Amino acid sequence: MTTRAEFLERIREQVRMSPGRSPASSARRPQHPAAEAETIRRELVERWPETLEAFRREFEGVAGVFHRTASIDVVPAIVARIAHDRQAREVVTWHSAALGADLAPALGACGLDVHPMPAAEPSGGAERERLRTLAARADLGLTGVDLAIAETGTLVLVSGAGRPRSTSLLPPCHIAVFDRTALVESLRQAGVFLEAWHRDGRPPAGGSAINFITGPSRTADIELTLTRGVHGPKEVHAIFVEQPIRG
Amino acid sequence: MTARRASLMVTCLGDLFFPEVGVSIVRLLRKLGVAVDVPADQTCCGLPLFNSGYRGDAAAVARRTVALFKESEYVVVPSGSCAWMVKHEYPGLMADTAVGPEARELAARTHELSQFLVRVLGATEFTAAVPGRVTYHDSCHLLRGLHESESPRMLLGKLRGAELVPLPGADECCGFGGSFAVRLPEVSSQILAKKLANVESTGAGCLVACDAGCLMQMNGGLKRAKSRVRALHLAELLDGGR
Amino acid sequence: MSDAELTTPFRQRAGSAMKDEFLQEALTIATTKFIGLRREAFAGFPEGEALRDRARAIKEATLQHLDRHLETLIANVERLGGHVHFATTPAEARSIVVDIARRTGARMAVKAKSMATEEIHLNEALEAAGVTPVETDLGEYIIQLAHERPSHIIAPAIHKTKGQVAELFTRELKRPAEPDPEALTRIARAELREKFLQADLGITGANFAVADTGTVVLVTNEGNGRMVTSLPRVHVAVMGVEKVVPSFTDLMVFLAILAKSATGQKLSVYTSLVQGPRRAGELEGPEEFHLVLLDGGRIAQIGGPLREALSCLRCGACLNVCPVYRQIGGHAYGYTYPGPIGILLTAMLEGAPAVRDLAHASSLCGACVDACPVRIDIPRMLIELRREVDDEKLAPWTERVAFALLTKLLQNPRLYRFAAKAGRVLQRPFARDGRISRLPLPFGEWTRTRDLPPVASRTFQERWASDKDLRA
Repeated sequence: MTTRAEFLERIREQVRMSPGRSPASSARRPQHPAAEAETIRRELVERWPETLEAFRREFEGVAGVFHRTASIDVVPAIVARIAHDRQAREVVTWHSAALGADLAPALGACGLDVHPMPAAEPSGGAERERLRTLAARADLGLTGVDLAIAETGTLVLVSGAGRPRSTSLLPPCHIAVFDRTALVESLRQAGVFLEAWHRDGRPPAGGSAINFITGPSRTADIELTLTRGVHGPKEVHAIFVEQPIRG
Repeated sequence: MTARRASLMVTCLGDLFFPEVGVSIVRLLRKLGVAVDVPADQTCCGLPLFNSGYRGDAAAVARRTVALFKESEYVVVPSGSCAWMVKHEYPGLMADTAVGPEARELAARTHELSQFLVRVLGATEFTAAVPGRVTYHDSCHLLRGLHESESPRMLLGKLRGAELVPLPGADECCGFGGSFAVRLPEVSSQILAKKLANVESTGAGCLVACDAGCLMQMNGGLKRAKSRVRALHLAELLDGGR
Repeated sequence: MSDAELTTPFRQRAGSAMKDEFLQEALTIATTKFIGLRREAFAGFPEGEALRDRARAIKEATLQHLDRHLETLIANVERLGGHVHFATTPAEARSIVVDIARRTGARMAVKAKSMATEEIHLNEALEAAGVTPVETDLGEYIIQLAHERPSHIIAPAIHKTKGQVAELFTRELKRPAEPDPEALTRIARAELREKFLQADLGITGANFAVADTGTVVLVTNEGNGRMVTSLPRVHVAVMGVEKVVPSFTDLMVFLAILAKSATGQKLSVYTSLVQGPRRAGELEGPEEFHLVLLDGGRIAQIGGPLREALSCLRCGACLNVCPVYRQIGGHAYGYTYPGPIGILLTAMLEGAPAVRDLAHASSLCGACVDACPVRIDIPRMLIELRREVDDEKLAPWTERVAFALLTKLLQNPRLYRFAAKAGRVLQRPFARDGRISRLPLPFGEWTRTRDLPPVASRTFQERWASDKDLRA
C-alpha cells in the first residue's frame, strides 16, 4: 500500500519538473475576513430592502415559497397555516437558542405536535434513534438561517448542537425563519463570511456541516423532466421577519 | 484604399479541387486595386499531418511554406483552417528553430479571405454571382480558431442581389474534420445529415462557407441527395457584377 | 461496459448507437436542452467570462503547488478527526474502502453519485466483500437496477425513456410503476428513504476539497448527498487529488460557474460543506470520516501532456455540445468517462493504447473549449494523443504508410504535381457529370454517403502558370 510520504513525494516530483503555465493565481482572500464581514453587514443595513427583494425574486425563481411578517411572534401562526394547508401536525424544530426565540409553546397552542431538538449530546444510541425517527416522521421542519444569499436565493444553514441537519432534510416541508441580519448579496460575500467563521481554523457553531440550500430537492434524471422532492424536502418556505429576531 | 500587393496561398484542396475559387479571389482583389502574386510550387500548409499527430512531418511541410511566402507583404488564404494553421500553430511548430522569427512574421501577415476583405481592405460591397437567398455556415477553425463570425456575414449581408437568411445551428460542425470524415464515416455522415437538414430548412438556394473542407463535405452530401442547394465558397459568390 | 463489449471496435459501437432510435431521440432532446439552459444561464451572467478565466487560473495555480495544498488539506482533515488514505491505483482504492467497510461491520452502503467510484469499479468490490452498495442518485439508481454504466457525466440515465424506467422498476422492485416521472420519483424516494436510514456506510465522491479548512464539498440536486453524509455511522469520500482548492474564496468562484455550465441553474439545490465526523451535541453526522485521495494516473499528468485536463470540474458541458457525443451517446465510448474530456481522462487512467481509436473520435471542431467553464483546450490534447498513438506505432501500418507518402508528396512540388496528374487519370472511370460517386477503399469510406469533386482538369497553379490573362 502506498504510504503518505510516497504519495506526496510523487506529487512533489511532478510539480518540480513541470513548468506550469500562466495565468495562474489563487483567489485573493480577504486579509481580515471578520472586519470585512462586519463592513458588509454595515453596508447592507442601508440596502436591506433591495437585497431582500432580490432574494425573494431568486428564491421564488427556484420554487421557494416566500412569506413576510412583522415580528417573530406571528411566525407560529404562519407555520400553523402551512401545516393546516397540508393536513399536517408533526413539527420538528431547531432548539430555541438556535432559532433565537422559543416558539414551541405558541406552535403547540396552534394545535401542532412540536418536537424541539435538544441542544445537548443525546444520552445514547436509543435517544439518538428516537430523535431521528421524530425527524423522519415529521411533516414540517422549522429552522433558522445563517445566511440568505440574494444572488441565488440560497439559504445557508450551519449545523451543530441544537441545530441538526435532519430538521431541514427529512421532513417533506422545510420552513426557515430569518431576519435582515442574515442577508448577503452574493456568493462572493458569502465566501467572506465563510472565511470569517473559520478564521481560527475551526468550523462555526461547533458543527461538522454547512449546507447551502437553493430551493426544494429536485431531479431531471428521467427524460429531463423536472420533478421535486426526491430525497430532500419537496417544499421550502422562507419567512422573513422585519423586526430583528434577536432584538 | 491604397494599392497593395497580396500573395495567394491557394491551399491544397483549393488548388486540386476548387481552382475556380482561386480565380475568383484573383479577380476580386484586382478589382479592389490589389496586385496578386502566387508563389510557385505551393503544396499544403501541413494541417492534415498536424491534426493526425504527425507533428514532425507537419513542421517540415510548414517550414517549406514559410520559406515560400517570405517575401509576401500580405498572404491571403481562402480557408479558415489553413489560415488558422499558419497563424496559430506555425509559431509553436517552429519556435525552437532558426525560422522561428520568420514563422511568427508570416503568422502576423496572413489573413483568411473574409478577414482580409473586411478588416484589412475595408471592402464590403460586392455583387452576387448567384442572386437569391443565401445562408452561411461557420467553419470551426474560422469561428473558434480565428474568432471570426462577423466579416463573412457583413459581406453577405451587403451583397447586392442576395438575401442572407440565418442558418439554424450555423456554428455546429459539418462533420468534415479532415481524416475524421473517412476514419469515422458513419458519424461524419450523420453529423452532415443534421447540417443539411438545417440548410434545407432555410429555403436558401445557396450555402456559403469559407473553408474548402467544409465545402467538400457539404457539397458531397447535397449532390448525393440531388438537392437544388449549391454550396459555394464566399469568393465565388462575391465574384459577380462583371 | 463488459470486456466483451470493449472488444467490438469503436467504429462498430458508434454505428450501433446511431441505429438505436430511442437513444438518438433521447440524445437529441437532452443535449439540445442542456445547451439551451447553459446558454441562457451565461447570457444573464455578464461576470461569467471573467469568472471562467479566474477559475482556470486558480486550477493552474493550485497545480503548481499541489503537494503543499494537499498537505494542508490532510492536516486539516485530521485535525477535524477525519482519516486520510492514499490510493495510487484503483485496486488500492477499492481495498481501502472495503477494509473500512469490513472493520466497521458495514452490510449496506448508500452511495451518492461519484464518477471517481465508477472509475475504480468500487461497487463490484463491495459486493464481492459482502457489502451491498445502493446508488441513491436517481439516475445512478436506475442504471444500477439495469446493470448498466452511466452514459453521461451528470445525467447517467439520459439514454433511458420513462417507459423503460417504469418497466425496470416494475421488474426489479416488484411493484407496479407508471411511465410518469413524478410517480417514478416517488417510488425511488420511498425505496431509498429506508436505505438511507438503515445504511451503515455512506460513500461519496467530492466535487471540491477546501485545503484551508479540511472541508469536502458535495454538489447535488436531490438531497442524497446530504443523506449519505449525515445518517450512516461511517462516511467515506473518494476524491481525485486534483479536486483540492486552497480556500473558501476560491470555492465561491467555482460554485458561481459550475451549476450554470452543467444544468443552467445558478446553484445546484444542495452544496454541502462536510467537515469531518460529527461533533459533540450533533444529532447527525458520521462517527468516522475517511477521505481517500486517488491518483489513478492523475499524478503523472501534473508534468505530462494532459495536465490541463486535471482542471476538469466534471460538469458535462463538453459532452452536450460535442457533435460526436450527440450522435453516439456515452456508452459507445466504452469507458467510464465519455465525451471529449472522457477521451483525455481515459488516456490518463488507462494509457495511450486505450485511446488508439478514441483519440480520433473528434472532428476537432472546438465546441468543447467554448463550453468548458475552465476553457480546457481539448482539441490540442487530442492531437497530442494522436501523436502518442503514432509514436507508439499503434496505428495500422497502412495508415502509417499513407501518411509517410503524403509527407513526401507535400514536400516535393514535382511529386505533388505528378500526383495531381495521376489522380486525373485514375479517377476517369469514376468521374461522371463532374462528380465522383463511387471509389474503391479507402476512399470508398467517403463515397458511400457523399459525392466527391474530381481533381480539376487544370489545378489553380497550372492555370496560373499557363493563363496569361489570369496573371495579368
